[in-house]
Amino acid sequence: MKKVQEQKELTNMSEESDSKVEAMDLLRQLEDILESDALIDELGFIHPSQFSLLKEESDISSNLFYEAIHQSADGVVSSVESSNQDSLYFWNRDHKLGISTHVLLPLYRTAKHAFMTTFKQYRMCDNQYDKVGICLPTASSCDNLESTLLRHSKSLLLLSCDFITAWNCRKLIVSKKQQLSMFMDELLLSELVLSYSHKSEQAWNHRRWVIKSISANCSNFKEILGKESELVEKIAERSKMNYRAWNHRCWLVSHMTVDQVLCELKKSRSWAALHVTDNCCFHYRRRLLLKIMEGQSCVEDTVTHGYNVNIVQALKDELDWNETLIKRYVGREALWLHRRFLSMCWINNFVLAAGDASYHSKEAISLYHDFGTFLQNELCLLHSCSTIVDDDFVDVQAQAAHSASYILWLKVQVPKPLENELQEKIRDVDLKTLLNKSCPVRSSLFNYFMN
Amino acid sequence: MGELATEKHVRYILSVEKRKDNFESVVMEHLRMSGAYWGLTALDLLGKLDTVDVDEAISWLLSCQHESGGFGGNVGHDPHILYTLSAVQVLALFDKMDVIDVDKVTNYIVNLQNEDGSFSGDMWGEVDTRFSYIAICCLSILHRLDKINVEKAVKYIISCKNMDGGFGCTPGGESHAGQIFCCVGALAITGSLDLVDKDLLGWWLCERQVKSGGLNGRPEKLPDVCYSWWVLSSLTMIDRVHWISKEKLIKFIIDCQDTENGGISDRPDDAVDIFHTFFGVAGLSLLEYPGVKPIDPAYALPVDVVNRIFFTK
Repeated sequence: MKKVQEQKELTNMSEESDSKVEAMDLLRQLEDILESDALIDELGFIHPSQFSLLKEESDISSNLFYEAIHQSADGVVSSVESSNQDSLYFWNRDHKLGISTHVLLPLYRTAKHAFMTTFKQYRMCDNQYDKVGICLPTASSCDNLESTLLRHSKSLLLLSCDFITAWNCRKLIVSKKQQLSMFMDELLLSELVLSYSHKSEQAWNHRRWVIKSISANCSNFKEILGKESELVEKIAERSKMNYRAWNHRCWLVSHMTVDQVLCELKKSRSWAALHVTDNCCFHYRRRLLLKIMEGQSCVEDTVTHGYNVNIVQALKDELDWNETLIKRYVGREALWLHRRFLSMCWINNFVLAAGDASYHSKEAISLYHDFGTFLQNELCLLHSCSTIVDDDFVDVQAQAAHSASYILWLKVQVPKPLENELQEKIRDVDLKTLLNKSCPVRSSLFNYFMN
Repeated sequence: MGELATEKHVRYILSVEKRKDNFESVVMEHLRMSGAYWGLTALDLLGKLDTVDVDEAISWLLSCQHESGGFGGNVGHDPHILYTLSAVQVLALFDKMDVIDVDKVTNYIVNLQNEDGSFSGDMWGEVDTRFSYIAICCLSILHRLDKINVEKAVKYIISCKNMDGGFGCTPGGESHAGQIFCCVGALAITGSLDLVDKDLLGWWLCERQVKSGGLNGRPEKLPDVCYSWWVLSSLTMIDRVHWISKEKLIKFIIDCQDTENGGISDRPDDAVDIFHTFFGVAGLSLLEYPGVKPIDPAYALPVDVVNRIFFTK
């Protein structure tokens, strides 16, 4: 976090009033807003100076809105107007919620206290019920406690998104009720949390827990998976290289059919082309390709034909597309790392092909199946990337370094049966010079592998 | 190159423990147990663990334990494997392992192992290779490693190996220096490092060093001081440290200090925090910086503490 921001926060906090009553009131206000607008999908913490600007703007437009309604129908009171008059510290409009940073600390303390106290009571109440095993009068107060807990935990989680105990409490209650609508609410809440805390580990965990819980009893599971995938892309747009978000998307893949996977590969391509430095999205594509390859190895010979064509075509397309991007976006590490993977998959296909009759289809032969041809192409690519301009264009230098280490990678990784052929082909390339010139810091690494 | 501002860092660490008046500190309450581990280990590495009130610390620590044997991040918080390890590590620092019921803690962890050998973080089932490391490290410290299915645990970790030689959270997950540290550490402790392709992994790890000399955690990311630990300790365990430039890394870490107020940040000129202060000091320790005690790369505890655990009695 930047130092300047930290200073601002400290200044704000020193101005805060510590009255307990006021804090309870704040919590009530927040919870009332959350209850009245179940569709809030975006949350933000706003500095007081920006907050007052925001309120001014919305007051102006809500007045216009009010006037407009007043002209069209008598006695209609705009609900927008009344909610905006409520609070100095909350802003709620168009299903967005803003909280002034001025009140975050007292709000957090109150929410935490309210939650923890109620949770303690609930656990005692719960124990009694379990022990006796019959429906006690206290069972209904257990229900009341549950709704209170859901309310307080929601407020707490918006302020402290990784407060594990609050998430756990919700899991406890929702897993008892086993109502689909409650599980859906958990998806809404975690999405709201993620709108502000893009990387919240617990929010992503919670979504997986929900999905695992409903997978058995849910008719539109495929649709839910699709929506999860889209959500990740939406959040990934706001926070680049978000490990947890993409990890979540990779997790979804294990629940997908091969058809869905092929579809995902196609759909996510244009996003990837606009985010060529985002290693996460290329890893995601590798995950999808691996899933397709997994599917292939378990299928009977007679049916294999179709799947083989799928993976061969997918790999070829991906290699060609990757090459286009490499030439267009100079010096991008993520693209070269992607190529390392693609090439190894392609090469391993040849080694397999030698002993696997099913690859001798017309389609397979018409694609460039020859290892020599493949290598030729890669060496051409190396050649076009290896011109090092003394003029210090960082990207050009990086391109030279990446292309050279890519060829070294192939040399090291190539399976034994193809080793000699590769050595033959790169004999005329002074790889050692290329490597040490373009990336001198890695000389110990390169020297090790060049032997 | 500047110097390590030891006194300032010690003062900073001690001050953080007392800070309870701003939102940013307070929302970290749920992970205070890990904060304690980071702060106290850093103090020990700088030779200043004696500045802390041991009894007060232990008393608070024990109040975070549950019936299940697991520890929560703070008083009144649910137990989780993360904070269970941190608690055990803190007790190891103070040589106070005798205050806990070792079998109880062991049981908590053993019950978190799944059929496929993986470990969940808590009863709610989230799986991650970090939790495999935690279970193995913690039980090893408690001399109870034999209580879990080590073979299956190792098999699961290996299933998280990627084609680039690195490891992710779960099978098919993106390689990440933090996850790699956990997997390599777990494999080191269980004597299974032969299952790692050290050349390939070493290659991936040394590509983390960027122009400034700092290390990032994944391709295309900015360098961050915490990766000085995760990448460096991994390289140490697989014996490939000579593939990176140590001098450049030392300079990077030194530049991440706040020499006026103490503490270390993720990169130069950013705000400091306990987490990065610990990892910066730990990184310097692995780089054999003078004035910092040596640290064990697998257990992430000072070497003399680890020796005490395994070579006394």
